[in-house]
Amino acid sequence: MTAASIQGMAPRGTRWIGRGALIRRLLRRPEGLIGLSILVVFVFLAAIPNLIVGPLQTAVTATGGRLTPPSAVHLFGTDELGRDVLNQTVHGARISLAIGLLATLVTVAIGAVVGIVAGFIGGWLDAILMRITDFFLVLPTFVLALILTPIIRELVGSATTEVFGIRMTLIVIVIVIGITSWSSTARIIRSQTLSLRERAFVDRARSIGAGSGHIMRRHILPNVINLIVANAVLTFAGAVLTETTLSFVGLGDPFQPSWGQLLEAARASGAPGLGAWWYFVPPGVCIVLVVLAFTLVGSALDDLLNPKRQGRR
Amino acid sequence: MKVGYLGRRLASAAVTIVLIAIINFILFRAMPGSPERVLLHGTPNVTPQILQQTRERWGLDKPVFPDQFVAYVGSTIRGDLGFSFLARGQTVSEVLAQRIWPTVILFGLGEMLAIVLGLALGAYSGWRRGGAVDYVGNGISLILYSTPYFLLGMAFLLLFATTLHWFPTFGMLQAGAQYPGLWERFLDFLGHLVLPLATVAFGLVGQYAIVMRSSIVETLSEDYVTTARAMGLRDGRVLRRHALPNALLPTVSLVAINLGYVVAGAITVEVVFNWPGLGTLAVEALTARDYPVLQGVFLLLGVSVVIANLIADLVYGALDPRVRT
Repeated sequence: MTAASIQGMAPRGTRWIGRGALIRRLLRRPEGLIGLSILVVFVFLAAIPNLIVGPLQTAVTATGGRLTPPSAVHLFGTDELGRDVLNQTVHGARISLAIGLLATLVTVAIGAVVGIVAGFIGGWLDAILMRITDFFLVLPTFVLALILTPIIRELVGSATTEVFGIRMTLIVIVIVIGITSWSSTARIIRSQTLSLRERAFVDRARSIGAGSGHIMRRHILPNVINLIVANAVLTFAGAVLTETTLSFVGLGDPFQPSWGQLLEAARASGAPGLGAWWYFVPPGVCIVLVVLAFTLVGSALDDLLNPKRQGRR
Repeated sequence: MKVGYLGRRLASAAVTIVLIAIINFILFRAMPGSPERVLLHGTPNVTPQILQQTRERWGLDKPVFPDQFVAYVGSTIRGDLGFSFLARGQTVSEVLAQRIWPTVILFGLGEMLAIVLGLALGAYSGWRRGGAVDYVGNGISLILYSTPYFLLGMAFLLLFATTLHWFPTFGMLQAGAQYPGLWERFLDFLGHLVLPLATVAFGLVGQYAIVMRSSIVETLSEDYVTTARAMGLRDGRVLRRHALPNALLPTVSLVAINLGYVVAGAITVEVVFNWPGLGTLAVEALTARDYPVLQGVFLLLGVSVVIANLIADLVYGALDPRVRT
């Protein structure tokens, strides 16, 4: 037993290693370096799309001909309405990443709360919560998302309301992704909470009269935050893929086209059959790169931050 | 405690199926508009008698719980899932029955191909860790893992159907074609199958290879592998007789757990190639807001995934006595 754990402090490895040190250690791994570099580029694109390619082109403001191949004027060619594919793809970065980010926050928040409460309180509450978690793990959640999205949209009503500049139709997608994909986060957080619960610092807090809610917020949460961060990065990859797939089957918003929505439009206009590769290759490559980058960074972070994986390569 | 293990698995699968049924029941009631309107949507000439019949049949004039729920569970068990809005006059079960085989063929074959290829690639790169095959294989696996299935399908379509004209672009059989015999019909079917099948297999291969690789790497650090090596066994024998059987175990359950996610890919691949299976059915139903069919697809796929998981659990239990406690 180490001195730290005798004193009732958090175990080594679950402690927050300073943010600067963490980034340095991440950059020293090839997968971390590649992943972070890709992400920096896309965050840059998503931050200032208007400065790079001008405002989002619509059917009215389209500048090119119908499905023209790449040229000097339209580097990535045009789509079936004459819109510039480069313009659409760069703006798609903002929408895909924003939905991915929000969906990740919702997913991780639900997962963390369920995991901490189930692990800390235990007993019948744990049994019920884990039963539900297992259920969502096994379930083909994508099909559930297919049914939930139109139902929630009809319940929410007006599509013109905007939250954080994102249309309600897409907010519904965020909520649906959150509802259907929190289960693996909950499992991971719960198992870590189970081992934290037995540690001396929890007993100490308890003996000076702290309630369960206080202990979960002030003692358990700070000790699982590393795990939450590593998991959130991996969840982000999944969220981008789910959003893309939902948009591809027609649940996206044509007024705020994400990459998935662009691919759906490309398929619907018959781009693969017409040989119009420039229509779907740019958004497609972007999706693959972003998901790959999040997966690389996420697994590197998991190696660095997850106490169960320490020392394993 | 073989019986105890079997009993627990069966009970857990049963609870999951009941939960799926409950979700379906709640979703149906959560929809805007009264349930009888949803049920009779698209039925021509609704008279007060038909309305009354529908209400009685579904027990809508009785309280939601327990009467309506019991009626719902009863009809679901009998396979009565109501009528499709889109395909007028057809029951949901009939609609599902027409679409189930193309999906079973495409994904059954695709899964098998992916499992064989993925496990072989993963085992080899894990065994020769740090070698050329490992680097290239791992890179390809990661990229395939990050690629949405339908994107792969669109690329295949463009390359092999539109540009090279090797394969037809969509459907399961040539539309309106007359076949001199069964054999020609079968060949046409095969030609249509190649691209979607390749998409499914390549889409899945990445994740299986990654799982198998890490499983092999983990197994190789076990004491019994060191012992086998110390006994002077040849490399191939250590891999085949000692490392591989143990490394395969975790992949069995991972393949089963992954099935739920595979379904999402299944749906989109079918859409890209217009393959007339459950996936295209789900999207057609979604576009037409044909909720009974959507729920039918959800129920069918959900129950199939649960049963597949149950089988995987039992196989796992039979292979590894340690989990049967």
